[in-house]
Amino acid sequence: MKINLGNNEVTMKLNRRSFIKCAAASSAIAAAAAIFPGVSFADWKKQEGASGMITWKKAPCRFCGTGCGVLVGVSGDRAVAVKGDPNCSVNKGLCCVKGYHSVQALYGKDRITKAKVRRNGEMVAVPIKEALDIIAAKMKETIDKHGKDSVAMYGSGQWTIPDGYVASKLFKGCIGTNNLEANARLCMASAVTGFMTSFGIDEPMGCYEDIDHANVFVTWGNNMAEMHPVLFSRMLANRKRRSNVEIIDFATRTTRTSQAADKSILFKPQTDLAVANAICYEIIQNKWVNWDFVNTHVSFHKGLSNIGYGTEDHFAFTDKEESINFEEYKKFLEDYTPEKVEKISGVSAKDIKYLASLYGDPAKKVTSFWCMGMNQHTRGTWIQNLVYNIHLLTGKISAPGNSPFSLTGQPSACGTVREVGTLTHALPHGVVMDEHARELAAKIWDVPVSNIDPKPTYHTVEMFRALDRGDIKFMWIQVTNPMVTMPNLNRYRNGALKDDRFIVVSDVYPTPTTDVADVILPAAMWIEQEGMFGNSERRTQHFAEIVPPPGEAMSDTWQLIEVARRLGYEKQFPWGKDEYIGKIWEEYRRFHEGPKHNMAPYTVLLERSGVQWPFVDGKETRWRFNPKYDPACTNGKDFDFYGKKDNTAWIWARPYEPAAESPDAEYNFWLNTGRVLEHWHTGSMTRRVPILHQAMPASYVELNPEDAADLGVVNGEKVKIISRRGSIVMPASINGRGVPPRGMVFVPFFDESYLINELTLDAFCPISKQPDYKKCAVRLEKVS
Amino acid sequence: MNRADKKTGKGALGFAAICLLGVGGVTLALAAPDIPHNFDADGEKIFKSYNATPLEYMAADSGGRNLMGFYELRQYPGSPPRIPHAVAPSFSLQADNCLSCHAKGGYDAELDSFVPVTPHPENELCTQCHVPKRTEKLFVETNWQSINPPKLGRSFLAGSPPPMPHSLQLRENCIACHTGPGAVTEIRVEHSSRGNCRQCHLPVISTEPLLEFVRNK
Repeated sequence: MKINLGNNEVTMKLNRRSFIKCAAASSAIAAAAAIFPGVSFADWKKQEGASGMITWKKAPCRFCGTGCGVLVGVSGDRAVAVKGDPNCSVNKGLCCVKGYHSVQALYGKDRITKAKVRRNGEMVAVPIKEALDIIAAKMKETIDKHGKDSVAMYGSGQWTIPDGYVASKLFKGCIGTNNLEANARLCMASAVTGFMTSFGIDEPMGCYEDIDHANVFVTWGNNMAEMHPVLFSRMLANRKRRSNVEIIDFATRTTRTSQAADKSILFKPQTDLAVANAICYEIIQNKWVNWDFVNTHVSFHKGLSNIGYGTEDHFAFTDKEESINFEEYKKFLEDYTPEKVEKISGVSAKDIKYLASLYGDPAKKVTSFWCMGMNQHTRGTWIQNLVYNIHLLTGKISAPGNSPFSLTGQPSACGTVREVGTLTHALPHGVVMDEHARELAAKIWDVPVSNIDPKPTYHTVEMFRALDRGDIKFMWIQVTNPMVTMPNLNRYRNGALKDDRFIVVSDVYPTPTTDVADVILPAAMWIEQEGMFGNSERRTQHFAEIVPPPGEAMSDTWQLIEVARRLGYEKQFPWGKDEYIGKIWEEYRRFHEGPKHNMAPYTVLLERSGVQWPFVDGKETRWRFNPKYDPACTNGKDFDFYGKKDNTAWIWARPYEPAAESPDAEYNFWLNTGRVLEHWHTGSMTRRVPILHQAMPASYVELNPEDAADLGVVNGEKVKIISRRGSIVMPASINGRGVPPRGMVFVPFFDESYLINELTLDAFCPISKQPDYKKCAVRLEKVS
Repeated sequence: MNRADKKTGKGALGFAAICLLGVGGVTLALAAPDIPHNFDADGEKIFKSYNATPLEYMAADSGGRNLMGFYELRQYPGSPPRIPHAVAPSFSLQADNCLSCHAKGGYDAELDSFVPVTPHPENELCTQCHVPKRTEKLFVETNWQSINPPKLGRSFLAGSPPPMPHSLQLRENCIACHTGPGAVTEIRVEHSSRGNCRQCHLPVISTEPLLEFVRNK
């Protein structure tokens, strides 16, 4: 703020008469705009014949996994405004810029409203019934010719819960193939395996209310200021209101989160594994272990090491767990003294000790947040285990403010993919390998138990490899854009385009994925259909059909039902169009009966702005494993980690192992990829929102200023980025939104004009099978 | 429109300076600790702002903003406005940047205008909702439509105080937007010396139908 006290140019008008004159003139302009509709008075087109009245309907936001409650303003049959839902405890009435403009994503001019079929290389519009006939016939023909495992479905964490549920019922229950995956494999599979290996049961023990209790927040490779802004704002508000709150950003790149943090600590990519172990080493050395907690609730374990990276086809890995004792664990940590880890990680021993002291201080409540930095990691499962170790050694878990908290990126990654189990190994309850889980599913689905194949088939990367190889001939893709998001994209796009492959894509706008489709189905989007999402804190959120879908667009659930009936499964898909979502919900809910996972009834979901599960005796569970809040605790102790058969939480000895591909003499930079505040994932929705596109029109490559100087590149100049898999030319961003350290470049992936995933590596965590989008090696050239 | 009236300029600058010094120095007694600070639609903010802003500042009008410009920055009535001026790409540490001007108001010589005051300075992550425009082009054309902004001056009787036409959510602080030289001319109040806005102005949200009272005999 500059105040120029000597500037006589500044004028003010205090005189009442001239004010009235001026106000009258302004009102005249306003009146003129109302009389002449062609005169633009604001930045939007006015709805003709609107009464000016708005009705407000509740929904969860369409975008990230935070699950903000929004109120959609409806005028006639159009959504015209948004406000934050004050009754929703997630966001308490505040949204982010994407949420406030989310309804504009419905109205892009190139919305897909008709089905299209490829004929002689051209996409031809056909009635949707005809397209559904073609899909069913093609599936039947492919199964007859190549077997049931030659057809596959690839869905999404943006699927509604009913979408995912009917997909699972059709593919796993009726057709009998485990070729069902969802893009959440690319997004939170490591979070799941982290929970399963440490606690034996999936999803966070805490909830967003932890933010109102914690004294210390550590963001582990997690740029919350841009990616979970509503939760980050809640942290900032707490820091402002309470004197004893601090935020530590622990990351590989300097971001808005680092700017707002009290302390920013940078580590070299992949070395979070070593730092987490060093923190545990320090906690033990300084006698900060909470022995009452550890002796009662914790056991120690180790698994295999040198576990590989999955870059080759048919890669397989099964971990081998072995129990160890505390002394063995302590001995394992001797490789991770702060001084040794300083050399690996670039984090000073002093900063490691500082982090340990925050976790170790019994007077401080600590919440750790993470998202893609820890999930998209070739040791993703391990790093989750290691952060849980810190919270378990200090007993800072499952209590208000003490929370290791895994955030999600999609609105229903938890609800649809994790809870419904739309992954190759999973069922709505349990896994296909488990006989009891198969029996329960067969009973609820009314199919012979022999239908359900006990052997998982392909996880996402391997599924697209199978499509490339020809083991899979037919793939149906709903609500996701893999031709932008698959790592090592060139291989998988070429695979999808091969001659005898048949690709069906259900979507709302043209994308690089609809470009490879043989059939495109127009999908209802978000509030154009009834459905439920499930957010990061075990909250199920219902939304009604608030506005009608355009043209022949149809909900993904109903598309699946139509095809299932054409395949002869009328008995399993009997519901009418006016009741199907409620019926599906009540059928699905039977899978989760019992205090550990019970879901709220349909009628309760209709009334509330989200309900947290386990929902037991009419009450939501905010903190699991803690008997004060969780009715599933039965051991009579202060905590009950009932997920594991031995009723303990598991501390894992997991070593540091390097990334699948690190910079070398030839490819001397790290390539890190990610997101920006304005755009959501591949931008197919947010780029059609005027304010969002205009604020962030194109992608770029962030360089460290010194690296840019060495390369002779200034801001905006073109840089060629080359990896072993592809190359791309992009404008440079120097000292912009984020600043990578020397030796790293960062590229946002939202822009389909710059397909950065043609460069990334399809290496994955051998346990979770989730790819690592944050680390591969590239070199740079100045483009003249 | 007020450029001709240069004589009052010096006095106005004085107000700007006073305002900056004055705001934040006065704290009202907070509600009892067990009562949420934001009860009654966060109405406490009105009294706090009234107390903290010099009367001269509240009464000043620069004529620098009008409703047309106000709505040009919005996508529908009530949407968060764009940032209309240039911001450096790394300009994002909210508390020290946006809020250093927009929390308090005053004159900005660089932009030669008086700064609009945010009604919700407690939200520090400004760029969460407010973004600048870097291009005029759209990715694809849009069919977006919304309703007309609320009409002004909808007094129920001739000359009676008009109701508040918009929801108070995130816009609870009348003083911030309806007084001072940064306010939009058409919605500025002339009687800013009165601090209890809700004594006369009641929320009658123009986009929401009036609920009819049915007597339950």
